[in-house]
Amino acid sequence: MIKKIKHFINYADLRKFRFWLQLFFFVFFIYGGYLAIDLGREIPVFSCGYNHETAGTCYFMPLQHQLARPWETLFSAASIGVLTSFLVFLLWFIVFNKAWCGYACPMGTLQDWITSFRKFLGIPYSTYNDTQYKSLKKIKYIFLIIVIIFPLLIGLGLLDGEWRGAFCDMCPARVITPMFVGDFSQWSIDFSTKTAIFLSSFGLIFTALFFVGSFIKKRFFCFFCPMSAMHYIFSDTALLKLKKDGDKCTKCGDCYNVCDMQIKDIADDVQSTNILRDDCILCLKCVAACPEDDALHVDLVNYPIFKSTKGGFAKRMEMDTWEKKNDS
Amino acid sequence: MIHEHKIESPKEKQNRHKAMEAISMLEKLKHDFKEPPKAMDYFYNLYEDVHCKQKPLHADKVKVGTMCIQVPAEITHALDAVQIRLCNGFYTDDEIGSDLLPSKSCPLVKATVGQFASNNFSDKPDIIISPTTCDQKAKSGAIIEDMGFDIYDMEFPRTKESEESREYWRRSVRKFTKELSNNLGKKLTRKKLKESIKKIGYAQTLYHRLNSLRKNAHSPLLGVDMFLVTNAFFFDKIDAWIPAVEALASECEQRVKDGTDAARKISPRIVYTGSPPIFPNLKIPYLIEQSDAIIVADETCSSNRMFNDMVSVDEWFLYDMVDSVADRYLKGCTCPIFTKNDDRKRRIIDLVREYKADGVVYQAFAGCQVYEMEQRSVLEAMEKEGIPIIYLESDYSPSHLGQLTTRIEAFVESLKNRKRKAK
Repeated sequence: MIKKIKHFINYADLRKFRFWLQLFFFVFFIYGGYLAIDLGREIPVFSCGYNHETAGTCYFMPLQHQLARPWETLFSAASIGVLTSFLVFLLWFIVFNKAWCGYACPMGTLQDWITSFRKFLGIPYSTYNDTQYKSLKKIKYIFLIIVIIFPLLIGLGLLDGEWRGAFCDMCPARVITPMFVGDFSQWSIDFSTKTAIFLSSFGLIFTALFFVGSFIKKRFFCFFCPMSAMHYIFSDTALLKLKKDGDKCTKCGDCYNVCDMQIKDIADDVQSTNILRDDCILCLKCVAACPEDDALHVDLVNYPIFKSTKGGFAKRMEMDTWEKKNDS
Repeated sequence: MIHEHKIESPKEKQNRHKAMEAISMLEKLKHDFKEPPKAMDYFYNLYEDVHCKQKPLHADKVKVGTMCIQVPAEITHALDAVQIRLCNGFYTDDEIGSDLLPSKSCPLVKATVGQFASNNFSDKPDIIISPTTCDQKAKSGAIIEDMGFDIYDMEFPRTKESEESREYWRRSVRKFTKELSNNLGKKLTRKKLKESIKKIGYAQTLYHRLNSLRKNAHSPLLGVDMFLVTNAFFFDKIDAWIPAVEALASECEQRVKDGTDAARKISPRIVYTGSPPIFPNLKIPYLIEQSDAIIVADETCSSNRMFNDMVSVDEWFLYDMVDSVADRYLKGCTCPIFTKNDDRKRRIIDLVREYKADGVVYQAFAGCQVYEMEQRSVLEAMEKEGIPIIYLESDYSPSHLGQLTTRIEAFVESLKNRKRKAK
C-alpha cells in the first residue's frame, strides 16, 4: 500500500499538481478576507496587507513597523510582541521552507501565469549570463537591509519616520495584489513629500518591471525578493528540505535546464546534501526533471516524500511509450 | 566447359575479410556461451546482413554519418534523415587506415579512416559530421575531407564545467541544426523535433529498462550481447531497433523471474570501462566472459554513454528543445577528452555499487591517448574505494590474445577468490 502511494507520488505530474495548488493559494490569500479568513500578519509570502481582503498579511509589513519603535521600547518587555510575531513567522516558515515561494506566494504564482502567457505566444524566455547572475543576486540582500536596518535607524532617530515602510512603498505587491479585489488606488505617486515621491515612483517602476521582467524571464521578481533572502537565513531549520545524493548525479544538467532560478549548483554541486540555495523557490521542477533514481529528493524531517526516478522522469517527459507511425 | 576466370576486386576482398571477421565473432557469441535469449537472433541476423552480406538498411533515406557520439540524433531524425555512427571496429579497415595515419594512432580512428579510404559502405553517408572531440578524430576529419567527402566540423568544447562551454556548445548545436536543415532542404518543425526527442527518449528508456535487469544477482544477459544491442543503435533503423529491444527486455524480464543466469553464480561481476568495444572488436568483453566472469555494466561510449543521459525540456518549443538536446551531449558526458575526469570516476564507482560488481576492467586502445592518460587516476580512485581493477591495452589485431587471456583469467580468478573469502 505504502509502495503504491510512493509510486503514485513519484510518478505524479508535478505541473498539474502545482498549477492547482498555486491557484488554490492564490485565491485563498487574495480573496480569503471575503470568507473572514485571517491567518494573522506573519505570513512568509508577499500576501500584501494593502489588499484588504487578504487572508493573511506578509510579515514584512508589521516587521518594519515593529522595528521602527524607539530603541528603548524595542528592547524592553513592552516589545515582547515583536518576538512572538517573529516566532509565529518562523513557525509558518519552518513547515514548508521555501515551498512558500514555489507554491503559495501570490506574486510567484502571478509570475508563473505570465510565463504561461508567454509560452502561449511561443516567445522564448531569456536568462542571465554568469556575471549578471552573480551581481544581480545580491540585490535581494540590499532589499532585506532596507526591510530590517532602515526601521532600526528610524528607532535610533537617524532616519526620518517617512522611511518606516520604505520597502512596502517600493514593493510591487502593494500595487498589484489589491487590483485583484478591484482596488486600483495604489496606482499613483504620493506627492506629499520628496521621500514619498521617490518611494512611490520606485514602487510603480518596480511594478512595471515586474510585468515586463516576468514576461521575459521566468520568476524575474523572485530573484530580487527580500523575503527569499530572509527565508534562506532560516532554511536550515526547516522541516521540508531539498536533498541531493551527489554519488547518483551524472551532472547532466537536466535540473539546471528547467530551473526557473538558474541555480547551477543543483546540477554541479555533488558534495552538498542540502542543495537548497538562496534563490531556490522549492518548486521541485528539478526533482521532477531528474532522470536518476534518488539523486534528488524532498525530505520532510528526513523522510523522503518525493524522489527523482527514472520511471517518473520518462512518464513526465512522455518517453515511457512510443507508437510507431506509418510515415516514419 | 570454360570457366570464366574472375579476379577478386580489392573491394570484394575487403568485404570478404570483413565478413570473415564479423561471422567469426558472431559464431563465437552464438555458440561459446549458454543459450542466449531468443530475441538476440534479431541482432545476430542484423550484423550478418550488414557486415557479411553488405545489405543497405537506409537506401531511401538521407544518411548523416557521424564521427563521434556528440551529434544530436534527435535533430537529425527530426529532419527526416538517419544518423549512422561511423566509429569502426574492423581490423581489415584498421590495416587500410594504418597507411594513412601515424603508426601509433588509435585503431578505431585508423579503421574509420580506412573505411573512407576504401570508399566501401553498404550505407554510404551523404554528409559526415565530425565533432571536434579528441585530437585524432578532429584531425582525421580533414584527412577524410581530402578524400572528397562532405565533412562538417562540429565544434565541441574540451571543458564542460564552465558556463562558457555550455553556451559555446549550445551555439554549436544551433548552428549545426540550421546548417543541416539548409543542407537537407528540410525545415525543422516543433512537432517533428518533439516527436523525435520522445522517440530517442523512449529508446533510452528501453536501454535503461534492459540494463537495470543486469543489477539482479542472476544477470539475464551477457555483456557481449548487450554490446551488440547498443552497437546496433549506431546504424540500425530506430523503428526496428525499438521493437527488437522491447522483445529482448521482455524476454530478459522473464529470465529474471525464472532465475536464468547468463553466467554462473560464482562468476565475478565486472564493470567495463575504457575505449569503446565496437563490433566485431568485442575481443576483450568476449575474453572476460569466456574466463567465467560477466560484464554487468559499462562506462563506454559505444554503450552506456550513448544512452545514459536523457533530455529534459521545460518549454516544448524549438528554442528550448534544441538547447536542451545540446546539454545532453555535453554536460553528462564522461569522455576522457575533457580536462577533468571526476565525473567519470564517480560514474564508475556508482556503477560498481549499483550493479554490485566485484571488479573493473579498464581497457584502452594502444594509441588512444586520452584513455591511456586517465588510466592512472582511475586506478588510484578505485584503489581508494577498495575496488579491484585491471588495466589492459589492446588493439584490433588478432595477435597478443595469449597474453591478454592470461591476464584476464588471473584477474577473474583473484576476484573469485575474494568472493569465496567474503562468504
